[in-house]
Amino acid sequence: MTALLQVNNLTKQFGHDAKALSDVGFSVQEGEFVSIIGPSGAGKSTLLRCINRMVDATSGEIMFDGVNVLNLKKKELKKVRTKIGMIFQHYNLVNRLTVIENTLHGKLGCKSTLSGVLGLYNREEKEQAMHILGLLGLDDFIYKRADQLSGGQKQRVGISRALIQNPRMLLCDEPIASLDPNSAKVIMDYLKNISVNMGITVLVNLHQVDVALKYSDKIIGINGGQVVFIGAPKHMTRADIQRIYGSEAEDLIFDAGGIHAG
Amino acid sequence: MEVNEQISAQRQLLKTRPHNRMKVKPLTKSAFVTRITLFSLAVLTIYAFFTFDYKDIDFVDAVLLTIANLKAMFFEPHLKHFTFSHAFYQVFVTLGLAFLTTLFGAVIAVFLGLFAAENLSSKWISTMIKGFVAFIRAVPTVLWVLIFAVAAGLGSVAAVIGMTFHSVSYLIKAYSESFEELDKGVIEALQASGASFWQIVFQAVIPSSITYMISWTFLRFEINFAVAVAMGAAAGAGGIGFDMFMASGFYLDIREIGAITYFILAVAILLEVFATKVKRKLKVNA
Ligand SMILES: Nc1ncnc2c1ncn2[C@@H]1O[C@H](COP(=O)(O)OP(=O)(O)O)[C@@H](O)[C@H]1O
Ligand SMILES: [Mg+2]
Repeated sequence: MTALLQVNNLTKQFGHDAKALSDVGFSVQEGEFVSIIGPSGAGKSTLLRCINRMVDATSGEIMFDGVNVLNLKKKELKKVRTKIGMIFQHYNLVNRLTVIENTLHGKLGCKSTLSGVLGLYNREEKEQAMHILGLLGLDDFIYKRADQLSGGQKQRVGISRALIQNPRMLLCDEPIASLDPNSAKVIMDYLKNISVNMGITVLVNLHQVDVALKYSDKIIGINGGQVVFIGAPKHMTRADIQRIYGSEAEDLIFDAGGIHAG
Repeated sequence: MEVNEQISAQRQLLKTRPHNRMKVKPLTKSAFVTRITLFSLAVLTIYAFFTFDYKDIDFVDAVLLTIANLKAMFFEPHLKHFTFSHAFYQVFVTLGLAFLTTLFGAVIAVFLGLFAAENLSSKWISTMIKGFVAFIRAVPTVLWVLIFAVAAGLGSVAAVIGMTFHSVSYLIKAYSESFEELDKGVIEALQASGASFWQIVFQAVIPSSITYMISWTFLRFEINFAVAVAMGAAAGAGGIGFDMFMASGFYLDIREIGAITYFILAVAILLEVFATKVKRKLKVNA
């Protein structure tokens, strides 16, 4: 196993505010399922967005597949972005378009500008889209408009759009925060499946400790922009949760207690 | 029993009301100024009617004559100096002027509208374009035509430029506001997958706002039709407006004016019906 992603001394400061991330470092192996947990405002979203440069880091180094993402020019950056899929809390689909149109959007990055502008997809791309939608159990919704779907279905379209990129890694920013427990479980199962069966690395921001404990190979806990825990779920103790969540910890330990009595 | 109690309680309230009348609107400074203004306007209006120089016109006679004129105009319309087919052709010229200026305006406004939308451009550029466009919109279309007439001469060229100019500013506002309806997250999602600006515009932004864009463009087309009629008369831009100008100013034929008015009305109604149909269809698909 080689490290697909290596983050070193990453720091991000918005304007003159306090640092959103300070001196963050960790590594992620190919095919690993990694959860990032922490209270809101800890810097989880900022961290994910630094990795694909949706936010420009202030300093540090992010090695993805052997290149430092922070040094890339616009064109090279686009190329790297096509290798990294992103999934969002609010799905971020184009509501007026159909499920398959939204899925095919994932292909835009590796098409020429003109054919992308005109929305010309070849047969192969369409077949791939159908195949992926099938894998995510969306066969019956291919020509439905995105705004007619339930939250869980929308998120599955979000995953399809990311998968059609043939990504090496998925960045998921609170993918289940807007879903009911059942849909949340379905989505987490799909993500786990993708990591295990397709060998795609999954990096997921989570709010729920119990979910992180259940699904992850590795957990990164951050608080106030600093990494305060890195390790396998089985090594996570009550004290670690306390350190990650500070004063909020009591409720969370109660929630997580059933799964893992640290 | 309870109901009765409530009613009697209400009666009690009603009874006490006349003693200290409750005011719904507090008498603020602005309300006071509004009232004073309205009152002085009313006084001025009445005063004006008493002090007009009526020469020898008798008010009742004048009203009766006006009614007679309107009757001649609208109940005895005829075409004398133009043929029916000529008028029909001229209506198309006017429609053409409206269509051309709307089309030019729409094409330019789509591109500038993208840069005026805050979610697609920077705050600074967006504010600049919006401010500039607000200024253009503040000056009426007719004035822009007259301004361009200084360089292009009074005629169809000035009309096309002036009307396009105002249409652009109107549609930039309409389009950029529709573009801004699209959630910033959707744009970010596509950026994150490596899509380029123009791909995002054509695959996400325009599909999301196309129904609004079409309805705004139609509205502008209707406005441009009305303006094109006026321009035919005022700026010599040709079309049915010019015929109307000739009928009234040159031939002094009010019956012909009536006929032309009916023509314009018919076209306006047709446009309206068509626009309503299209919009309903869009709503169904929206
Ligand atoms: N665009 C931004 N501009 C200024 N400050 C920001 C911006 N985005 C995030 N922050 C700040 O960075 C910190 C971390 O935010 P975020 O990464 O969204 O936290 P999380 O996702 O863990 O809830 C917060 O204090 C937040 O206010
Ligand atoms: Mg967040």
